[in-house]
Amino acid sequence: MKEIRIDFEKCTGCRHCETACSLQHFEENNINPALSRIRIYVDMENDLHIPILAGPYTDAKCTSRYATLIGGKEYGKCILCRSACPERDVFFEPGTEVPLKCDLCGEPPDPVCVKWCTSGALTFEEVGEEKEEETA
Amino acid sequence: MHGWMGKILRIDLTEQSYEIEDLDEDLAKEYIGGRGLAIKILYDEIDPEIDAFDPDNKMIFGTGPLTGTGAVGSSRFVVVTKSPLGNIGNGNAGGAFGPEMKYAGYDMIILEGKSPDPVYLWIEDDKIEFKSAENLWGKTAHETEDQIKSELAEESWKKSGIHVACIGPAGENLVKVAAIIIDKHNAAARGGLGAVMGSKNLKAIAVRGHQSIPLADPKAFKEVVTSLLDKVKDTPFTKNFFANGSSGIQNVYNEVGMLATRNYQTGVFDGIENTDAHLITEKHLVRNRACFSCPMACGGMTHVKEGPFAGRAERPDFETTWVFGADCGCESIQAILKCNNLCNDLGMDTISVGNTIAAAMEMFEKGYITEKDVGFSLKFGDAEAMVKLVEMTAYRKGFGDDVAEGGYHLTNKYGHPELFVGVKKLENPAYDPRACQGIGLNLATAARGACHNKGYTMISEILGDAVKIIPKTDPFATEGKAQLTKDLQDDTCIFDNAGICLFLLVNLWTKEILQQLEPATGAGYTMESMKLIGERTWNLERLFNQKAGLTGKDDTLPKRLLEEPLPEGPAKGLVCKLDEMLPEYYKLRGWDENGVPTDEKLKELGLD
Repeated sequence: MKEIRIDFEKCTGCRHCETACSLQHFEENNINPALSRIRIYVDMENDLHIPILAGPYTDAKCTSRYATLIGGKEYGKCILCRSACPERDVFFEPGTEVPLKCDLCGEPPDPVCVKWCTSGALTFEEVGEEKEEETA
Repeated sequence: MHGWMGKILRIDLTEQSYEIEDLDEDLAKEYIGGRGLAIKILYDEIDPEIDAFDPDNKMIFGTGPLTGTGAVGSSRFVVVTKSPLGNIGNGNAGGAFGPEMKYAGYDMIILEGKSPDPVYLWIEDDKIEFKSAENLWGKTAHETEDQIKSELAEESWKKSGIHVACIGPAGENLVKVAAIIIDKHNAAARGGLGAVMGSKNLKAIAVRGHQSIPLADPKAFKEVVTSLLDKVKDTPFTKNFFANGSSGIQNVYNEVGMLATRNYQTGVFDGIENTDAHLITEKHLVRNRACFSCPMACGGMTHVKEGPFAGRAERPDFETTWVFGADCGCESIQAILKCNNLCNDLGMDTISVGNTIAAAMEMFEKGYITEKDVGFSLKFGDAEAMVKLVEMTAYRKGFGDDVAEGGYHLTNKYGHPELFVGVKKLENPAYDPRACQGIGLNLATAARGACHNKGYTMISEILGDAVKIIPKTDPFATEGKAQLTKDLQDDTCIFDNAGICLFLLVNLWTKEILQQLEPATGAGYTMESMKLIGERTWNLERLFNQKAGLTGKDDTLPKRLLEEPLPEGPAKGLVCKLDEMLPEYYKLRGWDENGVPTDEKLKELGLD
């Protein structure tokens, strides 16, 4: 099975993935990062651009608050979570408030955000069981 | 409308009120947008003779139809106003403020009047708020952005989506070399735009939007951007820009003897190996940063870990590396990074500040000013003095008050105007036109003054064999340079009007802009109609300057570049032979011998 892999160290924050995604999924009113199922979180304090891919929707506020450590810096308050949830103003279609989720677009899947990513931060790769991400 | 949002936001700072107007579709098509449409609005709405700081002066923030669409390099917006230098002021910046303006729903923001107290604007779609900036006044650009984001949003994601254009202390203090800082690390820098914003008591504009840019033919647009990205992403120029930023090109200009050194006393910098861009990459670069939709990512964050210039700074562009390096005779890369950070944080144009300091250094070495005037020794290469003076300039402290007025006023005040290297009171950039004739003609004729980015003739004269976009020409020859300069100036307007970064010129040209502009707008543009739009934009800026009191006599270069031959290097013995090019240029432009556009030309361009 192939998955979109994210190497945030390579991300330059150009946001071509965001425009590509909204262009791909909306036939009219095409360009709008707020409609994208991938968003770049900009951490200007630490000079990091972190791509987040929209995951499953949840209608409840989360009770577990895992902080994520990246480069010694703690990202609290669900910053790096992939869910569209009531807690956060991201991954909802403006106006309709329909939650957005990455659908690995293309037939067969060939996500357009990866195609427009020139920095190498996004790749579409075969992920075997042995490659399963370590969880800390 | 497609590509355009179709709305103009008009802000009255005096009354703290606003109106949302429809964008005139025909007018938008006639100018494409950005720089062209902004000068059209400014020309129609203000008296060009007005003082820049008069509340009746207006500032226009303008995007193009490609801004924010994802077209390659589509980050740009312009700021157009009457400049404190007395001519047209127009600056252009990347980052992601311009795109966010579009997502908020506006092609243009017109700022009028003067706020009674310091304010900032908060624009979120159709919600427009005037917020007190009393607590922000005096704060640096970085502090301002952080504080505004904290005031407007609690949630980290929401902060991340807000984009800020602001001034630092320099703009507040009406420093003539003050810039508008965008997203902390980009600047609409040249011509004192930050001072105009300061004169209006406007500290910042913060914007966030949720609206869509409609495209005429999204499918075709997607195809063309996909194929252009494929073409652009791996070129040697993209790789070089990505690796070393635009400063990577510095060596090329030093080798051909046109890297202006020590206030243009020579064109070869003996300390070049110590200010090489590779040093920044190897020793200090933390990570690349791109403006919106750019595969070249020439920006980045650097970190100097220790020493007197320790701190973080944006990776300097070529002009900045040059001005605080070769032009000030400084061989400390850490000092260059420090100056870049000070300029971004205090809100100043690196070129103008550095060039003015270089002039002061020459005056000091020649004994025209002394330690009594400056407060300390100011010799070429004195990194510590240079850094100190940059900071003093923003706050108008001591001798910094003189530097704050710019090189023209500084050199005149102390009785040595011949040491000012600038045109129309705007300080020159890195390129010595004695070793590259065409750029001399461009610098002499650009409406905002000595600006290389209005007609980058080096793309032919120096880089022609490598870049292969425009045929190579001999940099020492004057033949053909009038045509080359005119063509590049008109074509550059298309980049600026559409919202595309000019740095892309090493990879693509107006043909590729048209390939993206058509599916975006469906407006029926052709190469011919774009050429005419470029010329129309150029001529309208000319008309503005004329009404502001400038004449053909202002189309000149500093005496040093016209009369003092280069002392060394490949162009040794040469001066810039402007008089061999200017009359032909006027003729090609359809201007009379005094540089005044003829009635026929204006009629042809629809400007009569």
